[in-house]
Amino acid sequence: MSESSATVRTLRARSDVELRLPADGAFASVLRTLTASLAARLDFTMDDIEDLRIAVSEAVAMVLAEADQGVDLVCEFRMNPGELTLRVATTSSSPTPPDYESFGWQVLTTLTSDARVEAVPGRYAVSLTLTSSIDPVAADGAGL
Amino acid sequence: MTSVNSRGGGAPLDAELLELLADPPTTEDARNRNAVLFAILDRPSISEEERRTAREELVANNLPLVEHCARRFRNRGEPFEDLVQVGTIGLIKAVDRFDIARGVEFSTYATPTIIGEIKRHFRDKGWAIRVPRRLQELRMQIASATAELTQTLGRSPTPREIAEAVGCSVEEIVEGIESSNAYATLSLDAGDDSEDGGQSMLDAIGVDDAGLAHVEIRESVKPLLESLPPREKKILLLRFFKNMTQSQIAAEIGVSQMHVSRLLSRTLEQLRTSLETDA
Repeated sequence: MSESSATVRTLRARSDVELRLPADGAFASVLRTLTASLAARLDFTMDDIEDLRIAVSEAVAMVLAEADQGVDLVCEFRMNPGELTLRVATTSSSPTPPDYESFGWQVLTTLTSDARVEAVPGRYAVSLTLTSSIDPVAADGAGL
Repeated sequence: MTSVNSRGGGAPLDAELLELLADPPTTEDARNRNAVLFAILDRPSISEEERRTAREELVANNLPLVEHCARRFRNRGEPFEDLVQVGTIGLIKAVDRFDIARGVEFSTYATPTIIGEIKRHFRDKGWAIRVPRRLQELRMQIASATAELTQTLGRSPTPREIAEAVGCSVEEIVEGIESSNAYATLSLDAGDDSEDGGQSMLDAIGVDDAGLAHVEIRESVKPLLESLPPREKKILLLRFFKNMTQSQIAAEIGVSQMHVSRLLSRTLEQLRTSLETDA
């Protein structure tokens, strides 16, 4: 118990994680796995984590569709108590403007508290923020 | 679509119903047919042609038995069709080895062979299924703790709460969740590489294929969802993505709750049937 609180505190002190992986669908699960385990340490509920997995899959699917041949995905995580922000970015010489009517985007926006697309020549990125459905401070107290 | 199912609770119930409704595998008719066919096979003067026909017919005749056996292993992450397929291998072996002189029912003889073959499939499927026993047990503990905590807390529990209930570290819970995902996912792609051993590359990225399978499902659902009338689409969205109750949706849309219920089940039914006919 005290051990996991310590883990969370350490994460809070240094709240950034970055992951670079090939822009290939085969690596999507690596990103999902990492995201899920970070969220677990931020006291997201199991449902939140499941939502997060879906959201990450959607984001990755969007980004992969725009990625140039043989480039990398750069994924940045920002962690705050009960909140996880993730940006998946890639090199894209001529990104198509995001389709805000698409089903994928609908899913993304309903699952996340904030989602945005950055599409400029040379770069395509999807950012999303999810918050834990419980108050992290309250959960801390309950846990202790 | 997975999350929709687990929340809506439609699919598991169907599977259970199917199981309950399943006919007993060997009818009187089939039993007599078996006896006749085995008697033919037993003739010393049998021609190669006759032998083959009788054997094929025996296999076809007893396929329901295989399906019955395979059904017992449903919901363990392997596609039902795969189980039927390996079970059929067991059936063929049983047909070849069965000795009418022993005086037992063929189904009595064949069932252990078929189930043995299916079990062997689970065992030999390699790393896809061979999650360490420790993790398998943890997976079950997590599942029951999650159910219990969801009840007591009135919401989905955090991994930390599960860790406390199970009595292990958060790390282990994370590992356990991953392993259960791996379990479900890996089996999804298991069908792809069953025949040719040359696809070891596919084996190696098996974990990722699970995600791809999701993409496929999502892609097949996507056009279906898009072709729904706006009101139906909205109801689905409110129900499954905003988690609103039917009454809340009714208030939002301005129809009765009964109507929402009807629309919802009709839409889901439509989606399900069009998915199934597509597949």
